[in-house]
Amino acid sequence: MVIPALLFVSVFTLYPTIRTFLLSFHQIFLALPSLGQPFVGLENYSLLFNDHVSQQAFLVTVGFVLLSTMAELILGLGIALVIHEPFKGRAGVRAAVLIPWAIPTVVASQLWRFIFNDQYGLANLIVFGNHISQYIPWLAFPQSAFLIIVLADVWKTSSFVGLLLLAGLQIIPEDLYDAARIDGASAWQRFRHVTLPLLKPAFLIALLFRTIDAFRVFDLVFVMTQGGPGDATQVIQFYGYKTFFTEGRIGYGSAISVSVFLMIVFLSLFYIRSIGSKLLAREQS
Amino acid sequence: MPRILPMPFLPIGSTLTFFVLLLCWPTNIQASDPFVKESDISLTQSVLHFVTWKADQPKVWDEAIGRFEKAHPHIQIKREIAPHSSTAYHDLLTQKLKNHDSSLDVFFMDVIWPAEFAEAGWARPLDDWFSPAQQERFLPGPIRAGTYRQHIYGVPSRIDSGMLYYRLDLLKKYGFQPPHTWEELVAQANTIIKREQASHPALRGYSGQFKQYEGLVCDMMEFILSNNGSLLNDNHSLSTLTNPQTLKAVEFVRDQMIQQLASPAVLTYEEPESLAIFVQGKSVFHRNWPYAWGLANDPRHSKIVGMVGVAPLPHFPNGRSISTLGGWLYGISAYSKHPKEAWTFIQFMTSSTMQKIFAVDAALAPSRPALYFNREVLQANPQYRDFLPVFQAATPRPQTPVYPIISHIWQRFFSRVLASSHSDILQEAQRADQQIHHFLTLARHNRS
Repeated sequence: MVIPALLFVSVFTLYPTIRTFLLSFHQIFLALPSLGQPFVGLENYSLLFNDHVSQQAFLVTVGFVLLSTMAELILGLGIALVIHEPFKGRAGVRAAVLIPWAIPTVVASQLWRFIFNDQYGLANLIVFGNHISQYIPWLAFPQSAFLIIVLADVWKTSSFVGLLLLAGLQIIPEDLYDAARIDGASAWQRFRHVTLPLLKPAFLIALLFRTIDAFRVFDLVFVMTQGGPGDATQVIQFYGYKTFFTEGRIGYGSAISVSVFLMIVFLSLFYIRSIGSKLLAREQS
Repeated sequence: MPRILPMPFLPIGSTLTFFVLLLCWPTNIQASDPFVKESDISLTQSVLHFVTWKADQPKVWDEAIGRFEKAHPHIQIKREIAPHSSTAYHDLLTQKLKNHDSSLDVFFMDVIWPAEFAEAGWARPLDDWFSPAQQERFLPGPIRAGTYRQHIYGVPSRIDSGMLYYRLDLLKKYGFQPPHTWEELVAQANTIIKREQASHPALRGYSGQFKQYEGLVCDMMEFILSNNGSLLNDNHSLSTLTNPQTLKAVEFVRDQMIQQLASPAVLTYEEPESLAIFVQGKSVFHRNWPYAWGLANDPRHSKIVGMVGVAPLPHFPNGRSISTLGGWLYGISAYSKHPKEAWTFIQFMTSSTMQKIFAVDAALAPSRPALYFNREVLQANPQYRDFLPVFQAATPRPQTPVYPIISHIWQRFFSRVLASSHSDILQEAQRADQQIHHFLTLARHNRS
């Protein structure tokens, strides 16, 4: 009974992963077949380590992960707290909050690209009204292009984080709040001493999911800026795509993919360790 | 340790497998193709897969393909629409070709691809069918671009080369002739903008393609080479970005053009966006390929019909006007199962008759020089009279199988320098030179 699923997993997950690992140890230029595909050991990885472009791509990615995850956690918490309270039309609000997450990323990216368009974008219209000559080309400046990518991602995924945190909120028993109210705790004190500590596991899970996903961001960059002015929005996955598909450098491109994979694996292990030990501590107490 | 709950493997596994098989099932799009004639299906019916992009004038292409299928009823053309962007089109093609996909027969090659496609074994050599005598009836630039190591891999379709478009009415109003040097262009544009400020506050001086993509290399090459600078040395063994004339040209573009005249918005423009600015009347000067003439004079798209002039691009003092060679060639996949039929199709589409139709109806500049003296072509495109010398002198980008890699390094260099007014041009140039040198060396080892 387990065999079909295992076969499925091994064909679609194990095989590509192992093959990419193996490819990353060779030098392969599709456009120079006479050079062959020699085994070069860890040369691709040392190249990756010393390459200015990949260093910048890594920094851009880390910056993106940090900013977007922080913003999404804060906004998600806000969303979760609001839709946790009972009020008329709450079901409608809960559905509406999910819409950004349901829109395909490619479509959402085009949307945001048009919003920040320098000629007819909504952003310019709101800030400058009809003074067309003052319109700013938001995506033409390295810093603003980067922030806009973060903004688009935060808009899209805050509701997903909100959902995860909502599940965590619903587990907290009402009696704790009643007891706190009887003891004379204000709303802020209730939030700080009851809600936040008990929300920690859900928080960590949301953090884990979002960090892993943010590391792999690609569609946003592909549609909105293609790496942005002067590589300002070139995240590591996009650099890997250009190297692998456009330049035909299969070996080096594979090394980039493997590095992203390894970084995510280590990050996940680190998070799971902390979540696991925290849960264990709670069960024992 | 929490107990792992048993998952219902069988239903989930089989459902997933079902969906995967569904996705991998070959899609049959024959039903939706309007050109399929049931009565013509004979025993030797072949279907040619033609990877092309969404046309600016779809009717012209539909009619052309319809004509071919009427003349050759045993060959059916199935078009596959690929992205407009040259880079995205390249990635889609190479993805199929590197997997030896036989479901692709005819495609276009940008003039910068034949070296890569030939070396990688993706494009079929056409020497058996495309004789030197026939090649001479085409413009030499595209033929050279399609030739690699003495074999010809492509048949020129249309030629492109960078032109300067300008607002005829505005230049006339202020008594200007089309500028010969870039400094003249800047001066004229500044004067016009200042005087038109009251009635056209959003008017800009210049619009071009400066996004981080291949078009950026085309635009920058025109500036650099017109200052007697260069990208590579003569035998393509060294990168010469740190050459003082090259650096000067790049600095001029950053300081005079992007940050001042054109607005940094051009750093997000490819051809369609930059053309839109011009045809909406928001720019005095505009750099683009010949196709822009048709759209700028089309009342459905343009607000400046009849007010457009076109001239060779300016140059720097002591330099000469440089126009980057662009354009496309028809190629046949090395893995195609119908090479002979593919050649028949290509021969038809590049014939004098068809090139004339494309020139008259779609403003696509022909690659056959004889057509530039044809009365009907000149009637529809009077500017071709002056274009022919520009086309014949168009400068190609360096021909090497590692062109995509080197182009990325150039795109990165130019984009990084142009995006910030404090960029250290020399340092970026040295870095780029070093990287390019590494790949040029590899390409030379491949040869030997």
